[in-house]
Amino acid sequence: MSVPGSGSRHFSPDPAPGPGRGVVAITAAAPERAADPAASDNAVELEGITKRFPGVVANKDISFAARRGTVHAIVGENGAGKSTLMKILYGVQRPDEGTIRVDGREVHLNSPSDAIDAGIGMVFQHFQLADNFTVLENVVLGAEKLHGIGDGARREIRRISEAYGLDVDPDALVEDLGVGARQRIEILKVLYRGAKVIILDEPTAVLVPQEVDELFDNLRELKSEGLTVLFISHKLDEVLSVADTITVIRRGTTVDTVDPASVNARQLAELMVGAELPTPQTEESTVTDRVVLRTEDLVLAGVGDGRNVLDGISLTIHAGEVLGIAGVEGNGQAELVEVIMGMREPTSGLVFLGDTDISDWRTREIREAGVAYIPEDRTRHGLLLEAPLWENRILGHQTEEPNAKGFLINAAGAKADTERIVKEYDVRTPSIFVTAGSLSGGNQQKLIVGREMSHEPKVLVASHPTRGVDVGAQASIWDIIRKARRDGLAVLLISADLEELIGLSDTIQVLLRGRLTGTFDPDTVTAEDLGAAMTGAAAPAAHAGAPTSDAQTSDVQTSDVQTSDVQPSEAQPSDVQPSEAPAGDGSTAPPAVAPPTDHTGDAEESR
Amino acid sequence: MWADVVVGPAEFKEHPLRHATKVAAVVAAAALGLAACGSSTPETPAGTAAAGSTSAAAGKKLVVGIAYGVGGRGDQSFNASAAAGLDKAKADLGIEYKEATQVNGESEAATEERLQQFVDAGATHVIGVGFAYAKAIGAVAKANPDVKFAIIDDASADSAGPNVAQLTFAEEQGSFLVGAAAALKSKTNQVGFVGGVATDLIKKFEAGYIAGAKAANPSITVKSQYLSQPPDFSGFNDPAKGKTAAEGLYQGGADVVYHAAGGSGSGVFTAAKAAGALAIGVDSDQALTATPDVRDVILTSMIKKVDVAVYGFLKAGSEGKDITGNKVFDLKAGGVDYATTGGKVDDIKTKLDEYKAKIISGEITVPTAP
Amino acid sequence: MSTFNARKALLGLAAPLLALLVAFLVTSAILLALGDPVVEVWQTILSWPRPRQFVQIINGATVYYLSAIAVAVGFRMNLFNIGVDGQYRVAAFAGALFAGQAWFPGPLNVLLTLVVAMATGGMWAGIAAYLKVKRGVSEVISTIMLNAIATGVVQWLLLKVAVKQQGSNTISTPPIPESSQLDGLAIVPGASNKVYTLLLLAIVVGVAYWFFIGKTRFGFDLRATGRSETAAVASGVKVPRMVVSTLVISGALAGLIGMPLLFGQDHSYGTTFQAGLGFAGIGIALLGRNHPLGIAVAALLWSFLDVQSNALQIKAGVASEVVFIIQGVILFAVVIAYELIRRADVRLEQQRVARELAGTRSDAPSVEGAAA
Repeated sequence: MSVPGSGSRHFSPDPAPGPGRGVVAITAAAPERAADPAASDNAVELEGITKRFPGVVANKDISFAARRGTVHAIVGENGAGKSTLMKILYGVQRPDEGTIRVDGREVHLNSPSDAIDAGIGMVFQHFQLADNFTVLENVVLGAEKLHGIGDGARREIRRISEAYGLDVDPDALVEDLGVGARQRIEILKVLYRGAKVIILDEPTAVLVPQEVDELFDNLRELKSEGLTVLFISHKLDEVLSVADTITVIRRGTTVDTVDPASVNARQLAELMVGAELPTPQTEESTVTDRVVLRTEDLVLAGVGDGRNVLDGISLTIHAGEVLGIAGVEGNGQAELVEVIMGMREPTSGLVFLGDTDISDWRTREIREAGVAYIPEDRTRHGLLLEAPLWENRILGHQTEEPNAKGFLINAAGAKADTERIVKEYDVRTPSIFVTAGSLSGGNQQKLIVGREMSHEPKVLVASHPTRGVDVGAQASIWDIIRKARRDGLAVLLISADLEELIGLSDTIQVLLRGRLTGTFDPDTVTAEDLGAAMTGAAAPAAHAGAPTSDAQTSDVQTSDVQTSDVQPSEAQPSDVQPSEAPAGDGSTAPPAVAPPTDHTGDAEESR
Repeated sequence: MWADVVVGPAEFKEHPLRHATKVAAVVAAAALGLAACGSSTPETPAGTAAAGSTSAAAGKKLVVGIAYGVGGRGDQSFNASAAAGLDKAKADLGIEYKEATQVNGESEAATEERLQQFVDAGATHVIGVGFAYAKAIGAVAKANPDVKFAIIDDASADSAGPNVAQLTFAEEQGSFLVGAAAALKSKTNQVGFVGGVATDLIKKFEAGYIAGAKAANPSITVKSQYLSQPPDFSGFNDPAKGKTAAEGLYQGGADVVYHAAGGSGSGVFTAAKAAGALAIGVDSDQALTATPDVRDVILTSMIKKVDVAVYGFLKAGSEGKDITGNKVFDLKAGGVDYATTGGKVDDIKTKLDEYKAKIISGEITVPTAP
Repeated sequence: MSTFNARKALLGLAAPLLALLVAFLVTSAILLALGDPVVEVWQTILSWPRPRQFVQIINGATVYYLSAIAVAVGFRMNLFNIGVDGQYRVAAFAGALFAGQAWFPGPLNVLLTLVVAMATGGMWAGIAAYLKVKRGVSEVISTIMLNAIATGVVQWLLLKVAVKQQGSNTISTPPIPESSQLDGLAIVPGASNKVYTLLLLAIVVGVAYWFFIGKTRFGFDLRATGRSETAAVASGVKVPRMVVSTLVISGALAGLIGMPLLFGQDHSYGTTFQAGLGFAGIGIALLGRNHPLGIAVAALLWSFLDVQSNALQIKAGVASEVVFIIQGVILFAVVIAYELIRRADVRLEQQRVARELAGTRSDAPSVEGAAA
């Protein structure tokens, strides 16, 4: 069941997926072009920004330009490097290379106050407000010199509030205000400090749909007044609805800058996850009928009155099967893994390992029972960065051979076995005594994979196993997953890399807002199909004619992503990808093998 | 603050342990700082400048080591009084001395070491000022039988030894006199007592005070209040507590309040001033040592002559007749007395001196416990 | 490998030495500014101790060592047991009270008293552990509060049980019977005094600390939690249980702090029992980098400064509190120095890893980019 040809050819958003990885032709508003002749038009320009951290390059050759009076979106998966970029723009981090220009002038931002002086303001995802203070007090805090702390400040706040339609009462107590109002205070705070460029970090993460609409109205107000908004998000529908220009970041670098009028959510998703990697190839099916891991109607309630984070997840993985979970990040993947690994208690539902109910088991028991785990964020969950490699080899298997002898740690055994892992899994390190933090990301990951495969696992839970690793490490990790499959393991593979999913999985299920919304056969599915299912825009609209302000820019309604109103596919622009795929018309893509479930089903039917 | 952290970089967030380490450092350093504050650094003692040039008239030359309690020479009260005796001995007897002050919360070993170092430095006479030195004096005296030791305010077996003078005071006798003065001056027929810490020592003051007041006016009411309970000795150094306690007594109808509360006494004087009433000082003649603006409320003071005891110990030593065992400095020995500064007791002086004579003659026996 | 360790060792030594130098300079500057005799002060502090003072240094260090180990157990898990001070006082009181009853003969009484003190200290710390695990109260806050409560509780109980001695103004628990008093070890030649017998206890505790933290699964889990709680959780560590065990162990060790004093010196718990040992332990644990030998050296240094400071008033005419300045500056300097050295170490190691890999495989960059 090898993928015929190469999956990448079906959907490659890269016009030139040549050997030069990361070198991407720019289809719209190329930064070089934008930077040059119309320099005065640009509020912020970044050129060649590179930032290295130990073991990884967080940003590499980032270049884009944001025109004055526009909303410029920066999109990318978690871990793509957005945060580092924003920290650089806000003076929290200094770039190793590259230049930043504000209004055409080169600036060096060494601290947030430099950024504020340069007219750059930041609205954090988590509000920085004192609840027991009034709006006025919160706004003037730290900026007392600007307009004092009394009536002068009050007048200024009213003026800004009216000028930009923020509807903020300076004398209201913050604790009485809702989330949307608090966000407007944050925006007002940066305006009060004279910001001309406002960075919003995932601003909609905390808002309900109506508040999102209000926020977008505010943003339009801001840009009409000549301010520039940098809008960071991975929610494509929102980005398409509000942005004037979209820059996509993947693997630490800018892959493209596009005009929202000329792309749809699927194409953006493809840009985000990329397709330039060597294609993982599945081999002959090894799926057996022996069920190894099974979940039954898992539910994980959200915080407060929010919807369930996991909602009725039932999945089954057989020995020799790789089950791939596709989904835009934040749709419950991390929680699903944590529930299976015993790190979270599900609200209801069961998990079975073979015939054994392991729902109540603790993480250690689950791991001892043979569930190998490659965590999503290796630096947070997989490694002790300050500990030497051989101690990291013990982590997660503290009670097992060769790491332990009774209640003692068997250092000699662990060291010897670390040497073996380093050799067998090609972990490039001068010795097993260096700290894990000094290794590159790929080598860190190879160590984790080697460790997890060293305890005769029955199940492998692999969460984004190749994220942030180099090509070589990626290829060898894919090999290891394929070998695990051959060896009869049940593999749960979660990835944002669609190609990886298609290439490795025997079955792909899509996780959307905590529910499994579709099952696909990787032999026949395309990245377009998956991308559509992931954004909830599976097919032509069920609600044709659903009004949007700009039918050209969006195929997903902004107001309520839950119901995923979709635009008629005919309205989708097709000029983005000059690829050999059928020109941009998602609906003509090969149909999913298994009928998608749930509400996407409606869309299917209406096809 | 940042929604998504890029994979890999270890230095994005400060590692919690390092943050923790910093917090711990601050806490630990603050604790050191507090310790330093708590044991108010004494003024640099002039002790080393002693080098007594003029050798004394008669007798042998003494080398004295004096170990003050917490607060040291500059406490304007108990330790200062001991220092006064030392200075007088230096002037009169030409002694040479070295001084040191106790550090708050130190170990018993450190206390002993201080005394031992005096011995090492050649001291012939070592004085421990305050009962906190009791055990240490006992131990060091035992180890150095050729050196003479004195302890102020302790007569326990801990400090006893053939070469130890236990210098204690008949505080109850002096307190009897000021109790009588309070009763004679009271117009409300009610007087009060503020004790610093509820130890047996302070209860002696209270007992004598009550007895004196009742002797002068059998129908008088005496109300007592203590500021803290041992082992909390804050009552000796908390003017705010002293003020609150005295305010309560004055509002309850007392018009004279006697304090045996060390440094907390200044609060008692403040309260007296505010209430337009009278107060009685302790240990020193506080009409001379208290802050000038409250001196006019001080009726009299029960003077506990630590200086006399210190001087007496050294004088006897210089004459080769070292004091050993428990020596009680009572009215007869001039170890306690009442003060006449300010002239507020001039009119009842005859009456008070009458009581004094009766106590000295043994006609009146003053109780030591209330 | 050997050069690698030598570099680590050198860097490890550099920090404390740097801190001592800074402390020397800062203190000298303060003394100069105040017109105190700088030379005499250092002569006094750095003079060679007499045999008797050696004993005192060892004795002081014994107590400090126990305190710092108690703190270090928490530190290794990133827990701040600021409450060691309260825990040791409560435990010393309970131990003294128990030993004073003389319910058991000599040595057995000593052993059982150690158990009582550990149990008391552990329980006192257990309150903070409960609050942290069940109520989410930061252990820093709760242990500081519990210190104050410990002061009050001990004072109140001491008044209830104190024995009055004729002619004395101090109060204390009943003295422990002579058969249970530990005379000490005459291991320093020429000294009139003796080293606390319970120095042996400190050594046992140090070895046990080294063993449990470094060699056991429990210790590994504890260290893993301290280094990264998220990674520990993912590895199967039950963090709340670790919090409770660690705080209770730390408290139990804190309970031992007062024992050398009780059996070797004071023989009762009273108003003159040494105070502030818990806070000293925090500084010493930091200085010793939570390492059993490092802490021993730090405790000896602290005790050395304490003992040598005693002569300052007598020989140099300067208040002994100067030593608090020295100790405080050492602490600040050492924390800063450790952090600087740590950063340098991380950088050096990365460079070294990169260099060695580049040397062996020119085609594989050791630090590949996210988008290389």
